Amino acid sequence: MSESASSSLLARSMRRRSFFRVAGATVAASTLVLAGCVKDPVEPTDTQVTTLNLGEGDTGLLNYLLLLEQLEAAFYQKVVTTPPTDLQAGELAALTDLRDHEVVHREFFRQLLGSNAQPTIEFNFSTINFSSRASVLAAARTFEDLGVAAYNGAAKLFTSREILALVSKIASVEARHAAFIRDLIQPTDPFGGVVEGSGAYSGLGTVLTPPQVIAAATSFFPYTIVVSGLPTA
Amino acid sequence: MNILQLLADLDAVDPEAYQRLSGRRGALTGLGQAGRRAVAAAVPLAFGTMLTKAYGRRPNTVLDVFTLALTLEYLESEFYKQALASTLAFPGNSKAVFQQIYKHEQDHVAFLEQTLRLSGAVLPDKPRFDFTGSKNGTQAALFPTVFQDFGTFLKVAQLLEDTGVRAYKGQVGTLITDNDLLEAAVRIHAVEARHAAHIRGLRRALGANVRDWVSPADEVITTKGVTDAVYAGEELTRQQLPVVDQKIPFFPTETTQIVTSTPAKAQISLGEAFDEPMSDVTASAIAALFIYG
Repeated sequence: MSESASSSLLARSMRRRSFFRVAGATVAASTLVLAGCVKDPVEPTDTQVTTLNLGEGDTGLLNYLLLLEQLEAAFYQKVVTTPPTDLQAGELAALTDLRDHEVVHREFFRQLLGSNAQPTIEFNFSTINFSSRASVLAAARTFEDLGVAAYNGAAKLFTSREILALVSKIASVEARHAAFIRDLIQPTDPFGGVVEGSGAYSGLGTVLTPPQVIAAATSFFPYTIVVSGLPTA
Repeated sequence: MNILQLLADLDAVDPEAYQRLSGRRGALTGLGQAGRRAVAAAVPLAFGTMLTKAYGRRPNTVLDVFTLALTLEYLESEFYKQALASTLAFPGNSKAVFQQIYKHEQDHVAFLEQTLRLSGAVLPDKPRFDFTGSKNGTQAALFPTVFQDFGTFLKVAQLLEDTGVRAYKGQVGTLITDNDLLEAAVRIHAVEARHAAHIRGLRRALGANVRDWVSPADEVITTKGVTDAVYAGEELTRQQLPVVDQKIPFFPTETTQIVTSTPAKAQISLGEAFDEPMSDVTASAIAALFIYG
C-alpha cells in the first residue's frame, strides 16, 4: 500500500515541484546529486532552470512524448476551465473528452517513466486567445497535427517492442483527435497538409523528427528543450 | 528472390547481422527501397549458412505484414471505388472527401505493391469483393443496402477503417526490425485513423451515438459472431507496462489520479484513450467477410 501511495500523482507532483524550486540553488542541487539523482535525465544543467534535457534512448523518447502530452493536457485544461463563450453546443463536452484523454496519456507516460519522468511544466500560452473559439480550435489543430507527426516520427526510434506497442496505441487516438478538430474547422478539407499528396510517400501521413517538433512548439515552452540526446535512427 | 522474407528470416536467427543489413539503425536509411534491394542482393553470399538455418523457422515476417496490409488496402480501395461508382447519394460535400479517402487508399495500395515488388516478392492476387457480405449472392447479405443507403455505407466504412487502424497497430512489433518500413506503416496507420474519425463524425451528424474515437459508450453496430471482432478487446481500460521490477506492472494503479471527472467518466476515458491492436488472424477473418471466390 505504501508503494501505491508513493506513486500517486499528488505525491509525485509535489516531489517534482519542490525539486524544481530548489534546483536553482547550488547547495540544494548538490544535495540532490548526493541523494542519488545524478542519473536523472531531466536535471537542470545550470543554477538557473533554463533548459530541460529530455535524455537518451527509449527513456528520452518517452519524455519527449510526455512533454507533448503535458502540453496538450495543459492546453485543454485551460480551455475547459475558462471556455470561449462562442463555443457551439456540444463542443465543450467534446473538448473535455480530449482533456481527459490527454491527462490519461500524460499520467500513462509518467507511470511508465517513474522517477525518470520530467517535472510538471508551466507552458506559455500567451499567443492563444482563450476567449475565442476560432483561436482555441486553431491552436488545438496545431497541437494535434503536431502530435500526430511527432508520433509518426518517434515510433521507429524505439528499441523496445513492448513500449512501441504501447506508444502506437496512443498515436492513432491523437490522429482521431486531429481529425475531430479539423472537422470542426474545415470539414470539406480534412486532410489538407497532413497527408502527402504526391511522390513516393503519397497517401502517407506527414512525419516530423523530434528537433522539428520542438522547433515548431518552442514558443510554448518556458525554457529550452534539449533533444540532442534522443536517437535519430 | 524474396528479399523481405530473406531479411526477416535472417533477423530470426541473427538479429545483429540483420541490423547491419537493414535500416534498423541507419545502415540503409536514406537509400530507400532500391538501396535495400542492392544490399540485400548480397545477403546469400555472406550469410548462406545462416539462411539455411533460418528457413527452418518462419515466424510472422515483414513479408507477411505487407501482404496482409495490401489485402486490407485492396479491400478499402475497392470499397470506395465501388461506392463512388454506384448510385449512392452522397449528401452535402461528402463525396469530394470520399474521393480524397479513395485516393489515399489507392496510394497505400501502390506503396505496398511497390515495396513488395522491389523486394522480389510475388504480389498476392487481388481478391474479388462483395461488400454486401453475401459472397456474390451465395448467402444472406450482411449489408444489403451498402451502396444504396448512406447510413449503411458509413457503418461499413467505419468497420473497415477501424479494422485497418487496429490491424496496422497489431503489426508494429514485427516491423520494429526495419526503421523505414515501420515508419511507413505507422504513417499509413495514422491516415486510417483520420479516415475512421471523419467517418464517425459523419455518422454522428446523422444522429448516431458515436464518437470520433472508439468508445465504450458508442452504440453497437456489430453483429455477434460475425462483425463483433472489429471491436473485441477495444474496451480495455488497463495497460500492461514492461517494468523489470514488476512493482508497477500496469496503468493505472488504484491510486493514479487521472481525471478530474467522475470515476465512471474516468473509466470511459481510459477505454477511449488507447486504441488496441488486432491480430493478423482476426484482421484476415474480418476481411474475409467481404471476399468471395
